[in-house]
Amino acid sequence: MKIKVKSWTSVAWWKWIANDENCGICRMAFENCCPDCSFAGDDCPLVWGHCSHVFHMHCICKWLNSQLNQQLCPMCRQTWRFNDR
Amino acid sequence: MSLRPQKIEFDVVWGCLRQTVDKVLKLNRVERDDWNSSFTDVYTICVAFPEPLADRLYAETKLFLENHVKVQLEEFNCYRTENNDGENGQMMLHKYYSAWKNYSQGLEYLNYLYQYLNQQHIKKQKVSEAEILYGNGTTPLAISQEQMEIGELGLDIWRLFMIQNLGDILVKQILQGIERDRLENNLTSKDIETIHGVINSFVSVQDYKKKGSLHLYETLFEEKLLEASGSYFMSQASKLLQSCSVSQYMQEVIRVLDEENVRAHKFVHMNSVKKLKKECEDRMISDHKAFLYSECKEMVSNDKRDDLRNLYILLKPLQDGLKELIQILLEQIKNEGAESIMNLKGENVHIQFVENMLQVHQKYENLISETFKNDPLFLSALDKACASVINSKLSDGKTTCRSAELVAKYCDNLLKKSKSTESEIESKLSKSITIFKYIEDKDVYQKFYSRMLAKRLIHDQSINMELEEVMINKLKQACGYEFTNKLHRMYTDIGISVDLNNKFNQHLKNLNDELNINLSIKVLQAGAWPLGPQTNISFAVPQEFEQPIRKFESFYNSSFSGRKLTWLHHLCAGELKVSLAKKSYLITMQTYQMAMLLLFENCDSMSCKEVREMLQLSHDNFQKHLQSLIDSKILNLDTEKIEDASIISVNLEFSNKRTKFKITASLQKESPQQEVEQTITQVDEDRKLYLQAAIVRIMKSRKVLKHNALIQEILSQSKVCFAPSIPMIKKCIESLIDKQYIERTANSSDEYSYVA
Ligand SMILES: [Zn+2]
Ligand SMILES: [Zn+2]
Ligand SMILES: [Zn+2]
Repeated sequence: MKIKVKSWTSVAWWKWIANDENCGICRMAFENCCPDCSFAGDDCPLVWGHCSHVFHMHCICKWLNSQLNQQLCPMCRQTWRFNDR
Repeated sequence: MSLRPQKIEFDVVWGCLRQTVDKVLKLNRVERDDWNSSFTDVYTICVAFPEPLADRLYAETKLFLENHVKVQLEEFNCYRTENNDGENGQMMLHKYYSAWKNYSQGLEYLNYLYQYLNQQHIKKQKVSEAEILYGNGTTPLAISQEQMEIGELGLDIWRLFMIQNLGDILVKQILQGIERDRLENNLTSKDIETIHGVINSFVSVQDYKKKGSLHLYETLFEEKLLEASGSYFMSQASKLLQSCSVSQYMQEVIRVLDEENVRAHKFVHMNSVKKLKKECEDRMISDHKAFLYSECKEMVSNDKRDDLRNLYILLKPLQDGLKELIQILLEQIKNEGAESIMNLKGENVHIQFVENMLQVHQKYENLISETFKNDPLFLSALDKACASVINSKLSDGKTTCRSAELVAKYCDNLLKKSKSTESEIESKLSKSITIFKYIEDKDVYQKFYSRMLAKRLIHDQSINMELEEVMINKLKQACGYEFTNKLHRMYTDIGISVDLNNKFNQHLKNLNDELNINLSIKVLQAGAWPLGPQTNISFAVPQEFEQPIRKFESFYNSSFSGRKLTWLHHLCAGELKVSLAKKSYLITMQTYQMAMLLLFENCDSMSCKEVREMLQLSHDNFQKHLQSLIDSKILNLDTEKIEDASIISVNLEFSNKRTKFKITASLQKESPQQEVEQTITQVDEDRKLYLQAAIVRIMKSRKVLKHNALIQEILSQSKVCFAPSIPMIKKCIESLIDKQYIERTANSSDEYSYVA
C-alpha cells in the first residue's frame, strides 16, 4: 500500500508557563485576564520576574507604580526585575 | 368737557344717563354723541364736588337692573304654572335663551360704559377689601356690603331673579330635550344651540368668580343630568340584554359610548364630560361584567379578534377590569405552548421545539398588537406564559428541562449545514434569541452552545464565520459580555490561527525550508475552550508529523515567550492519498487512523498488539479507530473480535467506486446522552464556583451581612445566568466558612462577616 499524507490539520492549545495557577496579586487564574481587562491571552499577557514569580503584566505594573521607594516582588519581597527570557 | 370736579345735580345727570342705560340693555341704537356724553356722566358723578356720588350711582343702577330683570321674569309667568311638556317647553327654552343672550350682550356694553366707576371706585374698594382679608383682622360686615363691577352685578341680579325662579323648570326642559336627542335624535340645530346656551348660562352667570364658579352649574344642573343619564343607561342596558349576544351587546355599548361622547361635547360643560362617561361605563359595563366575561374563554380560544378588541375597549377604563381577561389569555398561551412542544419525536426535535414555540409566541404577539394595542400588561402575560412553558420540567419527573440544549442545537444546526441563504439564517438566529431570552438556565445554554461552537470551529464545519460572530454578538446583546467572553475568545482564536499559519509559511520560505505535508494548525487558548482536561492522552506521533510539529513549535516559541503548546491529536484530521489495488483514493480521516494506516505502508500485516504498542494508544482509542478502518474495508482482521493476537492485514483487493471519501469514527468520545449528562454536571460545578465567587465578592464589599440579605443579593446577581437553588447557595456559604473566607458573627447565628 502506497501512502502519501496530502494535508494535516492539527490542533494545539497553549497555556502560560507559570509556577502557580493564579496571579498572586489579583487571584484570578492565569487562564483568565486581570480584573481590568475583558479578554485573556494576547490582550492581557503575563510577565516573569527573576525571582521566578509570575503575574499579569497589568497587575504587577499597577503594584510597582503604587510602591514609593522600593520595587519589590509582592510575593517574596526581593527586588523586582523583569525576566525577559 | 371739563375734567375738574364740579358741583352737580344728581337727578338731572342720572336722568340723562338712565336713558342710555335703558337703550343699551334693550340693545337699541345709541347715538354716538349720547354714548360719549353718558360716558362723561359716569365720570362726572363719580368725581362730583364737594362729595363724590359714586355710591349713589351704584345704588340707582342696581335698582334699574333689578327692575329690568323683573320685567323680563314676568314674561315667563305663564310657564311657571302650566304643564310645559313638549312644544311648549321647547318654546320656553328658546325664549329664555334669547332673553339671556340679549341681556348678557347688553350687560357687556353697560359694563364698558361704567368703566370709570368699575375701575376707580370699585377696584379701589376691592384692594382695601384684600387688606381686610389678609391684613390685620377681618370685618365680615365689609364683605357683605361688597360692591361689584356693574357687569358682575348684572349677572348676579340675573341669577337672583331669573335662575332662582326658573332654574328647576329650565333644567327639566333641558333634560327632556337631551332625552329626545337620545331617543329620537330629531333636535334641530337651533334646538341644540338653545339647550347648550341655556346650560352655559348657568356657568357664565358665575364665571367671574375665582372660586366655585361651577357651583351653581353643578348643583342646579349637573347632578340631575347624571341622575337622569344613569337611569337612561340602565334601561338601555337591560333592553339590550334581552335581545343581544355578548358580541352584539359590546358593539351596542361602544356605539352608545361614542354617541354619548359626541352628545356631551354638544351640550354640556367640559367638567361633565368625564363624569357622564363614567356614569355610562358604570351602568352599561361594570354592572354587567359577568355577562361580558361569560364568553371570554371562548373568544380567546377561538381567536375572535373583533370581540376581544371590543372587550378590551370596554374593560380598559374599569379598575382591574382587564385582570380576568389577562389571566384567561395567559392560561391559553400556556396550554397552547405546552401542547405545541409536547411529544416531539424524531431527529428534528430541536427544530420543532424552537419553531413551534415561536409560532405560538408570534401568534399572541400579533394578537396583542392588533387587538390589545400592545398593552404592557398583556405583553408581560405573554412573557410569563412563554417562560413558564419553556422552563417547565417534563411531566415524567426524571428528565430535566431540555429547552436550553434544544435551542443551542437549533442554532448549531443553522450554523452548520443549513441550505438557507445567509439572511434567512440570520433571521432564524434572531428568532431563536426570542426563545433564548425565556430560558432561565442560560448558563446551560451557554455550555451547550460553546461545546457545539468548539466542534464547528475545530472541524471547519461553520458555514460562515461572519454569521458565527453575528450570533455571538446577539447573545452578548441579550446577556452581556461576560456571558459571551469565552465564545468570543474561541472565535478570535480561529482568526489568529489563520494569521499564524501564514506567518509560519512565510517563516519557512525565509529559511528556504519546506514541509513535506500541507499543514494547517489551530492554536487555541486553553482556558476558553470547553475541551476538558485532556492532557494525558497517550499517542506516539508518527515520524511524518514529528518534523512539522517540531518546526512549528520552534517558530511559535520564538514568537511568544512563556507559553507551552500541547497537541490535541484526537481533534486532528487529515487527508491521505492511498494507492491500493492499482487505484488511488483520497481519504479523509482522523490522526489516529492516519497513524495506523501509515504503519502498513511497507508491511502488509501486523498483530494488534504490535500496532497498539507502536502507537501507544489506549485500549479504547485503539479499538475504536481500528474498527473504523476495518469497517471501511481497507484493513482486514483475521478474527471476529479485536484481540492482541489478531492479525491485521491490508485488504489488497480493496475497491471503492468513489475515489474521494471520508472515514468516520465518531469524533466525540461520548455518546450524545453521556455528553448531555456531562454538560449538566459541568454546569453544576460552574454554578458552585460562580456562587462562591459572588459570595466572596459581596462579603468583601459589605463586610457584614445577614443571611437573608446575602441570599437576596446573590439571587439578583445570578439572575442573568441562572436561578440558583437556595440549598445550593447554603452549601456554598458553608464551604466558604470551612475555607475561612467568611465566618458567622459571634453575636448572631444568621449573620456572616468577611475574613480579611
Ligand atoms: Zn493579576
Ligand atoms: Zn489585564
Ligand atoms: Zn518573587
